[in-house]
Amino acid sequence: MTHLEIENLASDYLEGLLDPSLRVAVEAHLAGCVACRELLGDVRQALELCRVAEDAEPKPWLISKILLATIGQRQPTWRERIAAFLHPLLQPRVAYPIAMTVFTFSIIVNAAGLNLRSLRFEDLNPRTWLDRANRQGHLMYAHAEKFYYDLRVVYEIESRFQQLRGQPQVQEEETPKPAAPGGGSSEGSPSDQTMASDGGAWVVVADRSEQPPPAASTQIGFTRAGRSLIP
Amino acid sequence: MDQDLQLLERCLAGENSAWEGLLRVYTRKIYNLCYRFTGRAEEAEDLTQEVFIKIFQTLRSYDAAQGSFSTWLHRVARNHLVDHYRRTKKDRMTGSIEDDLDTLVERPSPGAGPTGHVEARERKEQLQRALDRLSPDLREAVILRDLHDLDYLEISQVLGVPQGTVKSRINRGRLELARVLKRMEGMRGPAEAGSEL
Repeated sequence: MTHLEIENLASDYLEGLLDPSLRVAVEAHLAGCVACRELLGDVRQALELCRVAEDAEPKPWLISKILLATIGQRQPTWRERIAAFLHPLLQPRVAYPIAMTVFTFSIIVNAAGLNLRSLRFEDLNPRTWLDRANRQGHLMYAHAEKFYYDLRVVYEIESRFQQLRGQPQVQEEETPKPAAPGGGSSEGSPSDQTMASDGGAWVVVADRSEQPPPAASTQIGFTRAGRSLIP
Repeated sequence: MDQDLQLLERCLAGENSAWEGLLRVYTRKIYNLCYRFTGRAEEAEDLTQEVFIKIFQTLRSYDAAQGSFSTWLHRVARNHLVDHYRRTKKDRMTGSIEDDLDTLVERPSPGAGPTGHVEARERKEQLQRALDRLSPDLREAVILRDLHDLDYLEISQVLGVPQGTVKSRINRGRLELARVLKRMEGMRGPAEAGSEL
């Protein structure tokens, strides 16, 4: 094998593409030829240099420059426009106050009794809002109170409590009483007293129709809003 | 490859973001191809832009049956580089290889030091100078094969020559590159030794 043949087969030899017989022939020549061995060593080094060579870095604005030269000022799509618009609004520091504002506004609208679908002129008056809010507040309070007194357990506890407090007087006043409207009665039980309903809440009132006006401390009454129904 | 075709179809449908996607995938490769050919960053930048303008204008002429989009892109870039080379041939007729080598020896790489980064940059510059010494035919073959990792078939499609010719050019290009690098090393050695004295 000649030097020229070795040169022609250099790449195939280095890439391992030679037939085994040809490879043996090349290696036999290389074993006895310093110049060819050196040449292949140099080529191998050049290939290694290519392999490890770093890519050149284009300038960061090159793509923008090409975009400008090809499609001009790029028009964003609708989705990109919406996303760009919403992006700052979706940041937590902005989104949280917005959510709280909406929440507060909805509470105010509810409290003011505003119907946003059919707004009237008077709905825009802050005084109307205040009145409605006030009324709404009282209504809510009344509903809550009614619910509370409608609870059987509350009624039972209060009745027991009343019974314990009023027992000495009741025992002293063993006078015949008319039957309670609700039916059966027993001594010392809450049914010794008149149970009246006012607006759905039970009011327990001691029956003192036959008695002289008692002292204020013996008057017993559970009414709504802390006011006694007994004059 | 499928991703390229999808981007291409969307691009042909008028979707600008798809064109931007193609640019993001291939700008670096084409820039490097241009840089290896010219050896100058600014010139490579201009050439890359010109190549992509040409690609954008002829996007509909791409035929998937003729090869992959990447191969087509390389072919367009290579043809543009050859045109550029012919256009600017006179400007580059300024000196011989020896002159350039002398310049290289007189002007050692700035910032040479023990760090890997500097060494890597030195190697890159050395390789670039050696590639500049090759004839365009051999240079493009070596660049496509050894720096862009294209296979022989792809290179033959890019260059429009038979695979046998491609293999021959690559082999000759590598031998020439090895000789140039050796000469550069040989001239740098004595120069560095002289500067140390």
